[in-house]
Amino acid sequence: MNIKNLHAKIGDKEILKGLDLELIKGKIHVIMGTNGAGKSTLSKAIVGHYDVQTTQGEIIYKGENILEMEPEERALNGVFLSFQNPVEVAGVNNAYFLRTALNTKEKHRGEKETNAAEFLKLMRRHVEQLEMKPDMISRALNDGFSGGEKKRNEILQMEILKPDVIILDEIDSGLDIDALKSVSEGINRMKDGERTFLVITHYSRILDYIHPDYVHILQDGKIVKTGGPELVKILEAEGYQAIQKDLQCEP
Amino acid sequence: MRAVTLSLANAKHRLYERLGELGLPGNKTEQYKNFAIKPILAKEYAFKTPTTSEPKEGAKLLIQNGVVLESPKGVRVSFERDFKADEGHYDALYFMSHVLADFVIRLDIDADAAFELEHRLDAKETLLAYRVFVQTAPNSKVEIFETFNMEGSQNGLLLYGVDAQVARDSTLRWIRNQNARADDAVVIGSHSFNVAKQGALELKTFDFGGGQALHLYKIDLANYAWSDAQHLLLATKKARRGNVVVINHNEPYAKSVQEARTILKDEATGIFDGKIFVSQAAKYTNASQNSKAILLGENAHMYAKPQLEIYTDELEASHGSTIGQLDEETLFYLRSRGIGLEEARKTLVLAFANVLVDTLGDGEIFDRVHAEFDKTYYV
Repeated sequence: MNIKNLHAKIGDKEILKGLDLELIKGKIHVIMGTNGAGKSTLSKAIVGHYDVQTTQGEIIYKGENILEMEPEERALNGVFLSFQNPVEVAGVNNAYFLRTALNTKEKHRGEKETNAAEFLKLMRRHVEQLEMKPDMISRALNDGFSGGEKKRNEILQMEILKPDVIILDEIDSGLDIDALKSVSEGINRMKDGERTFLVITHYSRILDYIHPDYVHILQDGKIVKTGGPELVKILEAEGYQAIQKDLQCEP
Repeated sequence: MRAVTLSLANAKHRLYERLGELGLPGNKTEQYKNFAIKPILAKEYAFKTPTTSEPKEGAKLLIQNGVVLESPKGVRVSFERDFKADEGHYDALYFMSHVLADFVIRLDIDADAAFELEHRLDAKETLLAYRVFVQTAPNSKVEIFETFNMEGSQNGLLLYGVDAQVARDSTLRWIRNQNARADDAVVIGSHSFNVAKQGALELKTFDFGGGQALHLYKIDLANYAWSDAQHLLLATKKARRGNVVVINHNEPYAKSVQEARTILKDEATGIFDGKIFVSQAAKYTNASQNSKAILLGENAHMYAKPQLEIYTDELEASHGSTIGQLDEETLFYLRSRGIGLEEARKTLVLAFANVLVDTLGDGEIFDRVHAEFDKTYYV
């Protein structure tokens, strides 16, 4: 996925100001940045959220500019966002929802649709792996779920839908150690050298579990620095000001 | 409305007086002002007077054009000419239907029972008026599934209603499944439910379609009586449909819960006018009322009027009302998982409706209500 010169605004405020970023297939990319830098706006722009209006640039994926696609088309083409705050949907059964999404994807790909019995078996297996309560299957989608349960449910969806480009927007926020471990294990199960991850986070602790290949610093709507995992250590020790000073010293 | 005027001359005196006091409803009458009642009453109809009958035993209670053709085992049917109607009712058409009907179809149910009550109408351009009275026995549980088959009833008017006495310690579960096309008879149902001490009324109405219908209820609760009223309305095309409900907490420790959910497509109009009245004597009561509506059509209209009128300090009461469109963030969430916009909309509408449909539990009634909903929604 290649993001070129992306400009985007929310309302009248320009948030992304010519962002360039190449996500390399099979790699884990991490984006870090201060509050308001544009991290969540970037994730929303990629999946076509209605809040975000892209004004310039393109996102090329599988040879097409996905900015011209509807959100569901982007999803069917393999783009997945794990939401920072997943919505609660009373009256929609979790299993029914996920099976509908899976069957829609299978139909789109011309594959045989997973039937109810097969799906239930599949879902039970993943629920167990993620150490979720079994009643999550029959409960309404995210309705009354705790913060941790919602995040696990996002990972459950990811594991069942098997997308190609996975954006995790603050998947680690509000998780206790056990939940963080389960969620990280879910992410690691999906690493196969083919799938691409874009992890948006404020904290380094999840990176102890999922080991990124690239770390990008987002500031004022642009990627200002890219490096390896060592960049996280610098950030932790010296904060974003160090990056800022470093940038000012560059010719 | 010539035929009606002629009949009134011979009507039962006290009911006629009450009708006179209230006057025929017009566009300024509070309960009818969003229903466009005037053209309905101004229209000329043939007037049909139902006759008494000797119903044969059947699987359901079948009333065809006001005549009882079948009744199930355990239900005693009789015809009462001097019925004592609820003189405190607020609706003029409650009295009008009593005045026009020569008798009330009386159903005495002596033990636990569950049956279907089917109204079958096939008379064109006809005003049909009849009333049903239900009496439960103490300590019994009765479930009545009320359905309408109105094929061939074009452009008529059905003025009907239920008077029910829910006996002490008994439960009446009344489920209405109504679906009407635009050219079916207009249905105006005006009802009075009286729930005795420790009695319980579960009123579940499922009202779908493109025709015109209004139900007006008066529910009276005695000491420790309980009422759970749920109304699901799905109106399409140019329909005007709705519910007017007055729940009176007359004595201490009564409890009422009411939830109305309305989905309006196209140019449909939905009405929810609900009032909970708590008298000074009705201390320690508990009352809640909620109305939620989703507007799917750009020209759809919802008139919601939730009201509490309270004359005691010692109670718990709440009410609320929301009118809006489908939540954009929720729609987006579904779309972000590959579900198309139209499918996502349908999923959320069904979810909204299912909160009430699911309370029916599994079984034939659930299946039939669900099927009617689908039939109306997907047209």
